[in-house]
This record gives sequence, C-alpha cells and structure tokens, in this order.
Amino acid sequence: MSRRGLILAVTGLLALTACGGGHAASGDGKQLTVVMWGGDDQKKAVAAYVEPWAKAKGVMVKQDSPTDYAKFRAQVESKKVSWGAVEVEPNFAVTACKNGWAVKLDPAKVDTSQVKKELVGECAAPLLEYAFTMAYNTKAYSAENHPKTWAEFFDTEKFPGKRGFWKYATGAMFEAALLADGVPADRLYPLDIDRAFKKLDTIKKDIVFYETGEQQQQLVSSGEVPLIQAWNGRIFAAAKDGQPVANEWNQHLLSYDQVVIPAGYRDTALAQEWLNNFLADAKGQADYANQSAYAPVNAKALQYVNPDVRRELPTEHEDQRAAIVDYTYWAEHYDEVTERLNEWMAQ
Amino acid sequence: MTAGAVTGRRLPDGWGVLVLPLVAFLLVVFVYPLVSMLARSVSDPEPGLGNYAAFFDSPVYTNVLVNTFVIAGLVTLVTLLLGFPYAYLMTLATPFWRGVLMAAVLVPFWTSLLVRTFAWVLILRDTGVVNDVLGAFGGQPVPLLRNLAGVLIGMVQVMLPFAVLPIYATMRGIDRRLLQAAEGLGARPAFAFWRVYAPLTLPGVAAATLLVFVSSLGFYVTPALLGGPKNVMIGELIVQQLSGVLRWGFASALAVILLVVTGVLLLLAARVVDLRRMIGGGR
Repeated sequence: MSRRGLILAVTGLLALTACGGGHAASGDGKQLTVVMWGGDDQKKAVAAYVEPWAKAKGVMVKQDSPTDYAKFRAQVESKKVSWGAVEVEPNFAVTACKNGWAVKLDPAKVDTSQVKKELVGECAAPLLEYAFTMAYNTKAYSAENHPKTWAEFFDTEKFPGKRGFWKYATGAMFEAALLADGVPADRLYPLDIDRAFKKLDTIKKDIVFYETGEQQQQLVSSGEVPLIQAWNGRIFAAAKDGQPVANEWNQHLLSYDQVVIPAGYRDTALAQEWLNNFLADAKGQADYANQSAYAPVNAKALQYVNPDVRRELPTEHEDQRAAIVDYTYWAEHYDEVTERLNEWMAQ
Repeated sequence: MTAGAVTGRRLPDGWGVLVLPLVAFLLVVFVYPLVSMLARSVSDPEPGLGNYAAFFDSPVYTNVLVNTFVIAGLVTLVTLLLGFPYAYLMTLATPFWRGVLMAAVLVPFWTSLLVRTFAWVLILRDTGVVNDVLGAFGGQPVPLLRNLAGVLIGMVQVMLPFAVLPIYATMRGIDRRLLQAAEGLGARPAFAFWRVYAPLTLPGVAAATLLVFVSSLGFYVTPALLGGPKNVMIGELIVQQLSGVLRWGFASALAVILLVVTGVLLLLAARVVDLRRMIGGGR
C-alpha cells in the first residue's frame, strides 16, 4: 500500500469512528432500552405495547436480549447501565430489590392498582401471567384419559411414558411433587424439599429435563415425552401449529414475569413512564396475548382477547389453579435448592 | 539454509516497541479480568478459601470437573481418529473433490451452534431419523440423546474443523516423494506411511490435539442440550452459578480451578512430548 493510500485508509477509519460516536451522541430524542427473553415473543411484545407508546411520545426504542442476571448485576455494579426496562423472573426481582440493583416502584409514577396485588413486588410490576400446566401428547393420551391431577401425573403405572420437567429449581417441579404427594395447596410454602425429592425419586428414571421452550415443544409433540410440565403458551403455540398437544389446566401453578428498572439507568423516569402506560394499556396487552397465549395482567385487556385464545389463558382457569408460585420463597432458597438439585440429578 | 541464520539474529533495537500495543491489549482484556476473577474467588461472599472448600467438599462438583476432562479427552480422541484420515484424503483428492471435502467441514462450522445442536436433537431422538431407520429394519430405538453418545456426536462435529485444518496444512507441506523413496528402499506402503509419513504429520496432530482438547473443555450449549443430567460439564455449572444463582465468587472459583487443572495437564503433556518443537515447526 502506498503512503497516500495508507493515509486515506486511516482517515477513512477515523471518519467512520467519528460517525459511530456522533450517531450515539446525537440522540437528542429520548430512548428506552427494553430487554426481554428474545426471539419471536420479544418482537411481538415490543410491537404490541412498546412501539405504539414510543411512537406517540417520540421515543426511540432499543432492544437487547436475552435477559441475563449476571449482565444486569454487572451493569449496576459498574455503574454503566444500558438496560432500561427488563423482563425478569420474580425471584430475581426480589433479590435485585434487596441488593439495591433495581429501582423501587414509586406509586406516584407507576400505578399498579389495575393489576393483581400478589403479582406486584417492591421493585417490580407484572408483565404477563402464565401457567405450569400438565401438557400431554394427544396421540398418546385422549382428552378423557390423561393425568388430571399431579398425583396421576406422578403415577407411571396408570399412565406410562416419560415425564418432562424444566431443569431449574424454580421450574415448579417441587411444587408439583408436593401436590402429588398430598400436600394441601394452601400449605405448599415453605416447600418441604426432602419430601419433594422423595416423591421425585419414585419417577426419577422416567424424568426428562428440558432446558428451553423449543425443547419442551419438541419433546411433547414428537411423543417422546408424552406428559410434560409445560408453559401453557408454548403448548398453545405448538397446538396452533398443528402439533398433537394439549394443556390440562387442573391444579396448574400460576407464574408470572415482572419488569424491573435497573438502578442507575440514565432515564429512569422514561422507563417508569412506559411501565405506567403499559399497566393501563389494555389493548396493547390484549394484542400480545392474542399472539402468545400469555395472559395480560390488566383484567380490562381480557375483553379484547379473541375467544379461542381466551380459553387458553390462565385467567380463564383460575378455579382450577392450585397455587401461585411463591417467588419470595424462591428468592431466599434458590441457591440452596439448586445445589441439592445438582446433587440429586448427578446421583 | 538461511532460515536458521535469520531466526538466530537479533532484531535491530527499537523494533520491540511494536509488541507494546498487543501487550497493552492483553493486559486490559485478558490479564486484568483474570486477576479480578481470581480475586473474586477468594473474596466473595467473604474473604478466604470458602469457595474452594465448597468445591472440594461436594462430590458433585468434583465429578463434574472429572467428567469435563473425560468428555474433552474422548472428543479429542474421536475427532483425531476421524480428522486424520479425512485430512489425508484431502491431500490425495483432485482439486475439485478437495474443495468439496473442505466445504463439507467448513459449512457446518459457519452455521449457528444452537441451530446445529437442535438439528442433532431432531436426528438423534428416539423418534428421530436415525431411530426411525433402525425401526424400519426391526431394531429397537438406540438411546443417542441425553447421554454421553449424544454429547460426543454433537461436540465431535463442532470440533472436526479444528482437527482437519491443522493436520491438512501440515500434510500439504510433506513431500510425497519421501514415500516413494522409502518404498524404493524396500519398505512396504503401510510401513512407509507409518514410519516416514506419519511422524512428519505430528506437528499438525499436536496442534489439533491442543486446539480440540482445550476448546472442548469450555463447551456449554452442546452438553446442555444433547447430554443428560449425568453429562454436565463445568461450563454449564459456571453459567448456572453466574447467571442463575448469582454466586459469583463460587463461579470464579470454578473457572480458576478449570484454568489451573488445564494448565497442569498441559505442562505434564509438555514433559512427555516436546510440544514446543512440534508446534514451533521443528524442521
């Protein structure tokens, strides 16, 4: 390369760098970074209830995914927070709040009066509801003949076949095991982990653990694991795709995701403004529910949900609910139970 | 041969400065994080060796560590057994077929790891392609998923290019007339291959072994999706501790232990075989 060529190249590079920097800095307009689990679900969610608000307010929406608690904590601790509104599991919301990693909810700025009180945390407002159901493969089991209680789900003699569970401690397998063992639903917590392991031991050789939602769909659709503790929305999506799967709603465990705002985010007020808007946004929530079968948190949204989807939402099956997963319990015991689960799985 | 003369000569003074940017880069992105990780492993949640004690107290964690090295070792072995003949075939093939063989190794290499892993799930599961074919011949389904077999199949496929490429690069530089010369002196073809050709490929084989073994130690997605609860590798455990239960001190200790054990193993290996000569191109 000639000397002139080199100078040109370097100048070009510098110019590019300058443009890059300039672009980020020139954002006079407000911007909000939304972080969820990623994939199709995130696209649908942002289109349903973030973009319309942003458009009206002239806010630029940025996205990142998936939520990663290590990154969350690292951003807050290094005081370089680029995430604004983050979808998290409630046990992390409790931990983050306790450690000062998340902004406390300010009732003057975020009105949570329209959502269930049980789903609101000190730092977190609910984003969606879903259920851990007993899902089954409809070729292996019929609508009449399939496990309808956790006790039956754990009965591999009456209902042969592999059983699927999510591999994480918060995946509701302990709750299911205790319900199967006869613990009354209102006395589930604090969980008797020893008793739960004993119950899980009885079907251990038939358990298949899954890691992701795709795996969950694959396992039950293919019939490899005809009975699986699943997320209602995933099963709904697979059924809509023509897969032979269905949800059994009886004794389901209600769960939910929440939104938190990391402490030190440069535009906390904007994130709060969106969150406040979201909680009241019945149409936006319904729009997302129609596409995902995850339930809206504002009851007013239900009237805008298509009837066929509505039947598949946990909000329509509240009479069949066993319990709401107690994430305050999980925030406290997640480490310890995870450790025991590691041991149990390795045995 | 002037090559020896050049490497023996010292560079003129002042040129050493050129290495400074790299040193600075490594200090910032490698040494500093490493030191802070080490520091965290003995300071979080409280100062002391508690994290290390917790690791060695529990058979689960030590098993995971042993398991990690066993899997990495098996993957290395299988990858070499497959990669060596493959690379040799490439040296013999016509340019067209060499291109085809090269593409067959590289195209999967450019595909997303997650996509490939899910593809393996579809192929290997009880109701997957492999078992459907076996079933058509009246065989019982062979468990290929959620066990060691699944992990090995998935990891070997990922690692194959890391073995084929260095071995092929070395083989390409070997003068095939040496084989003719050996045969001319009375060696049978197989003997000529093992005594003359194979030893010359050792630098490539050593490079492949190192690359495959060390990279295999850090696998996370593949064993998580293709393995069962008994095939957990340390990478999964580190992620669990880091992002799941947020025990960063323990996660750091796990990483330090992996680093130290790997270092010790490599040092031991270096005493048995002269790695430096093999990789440094001791021609």
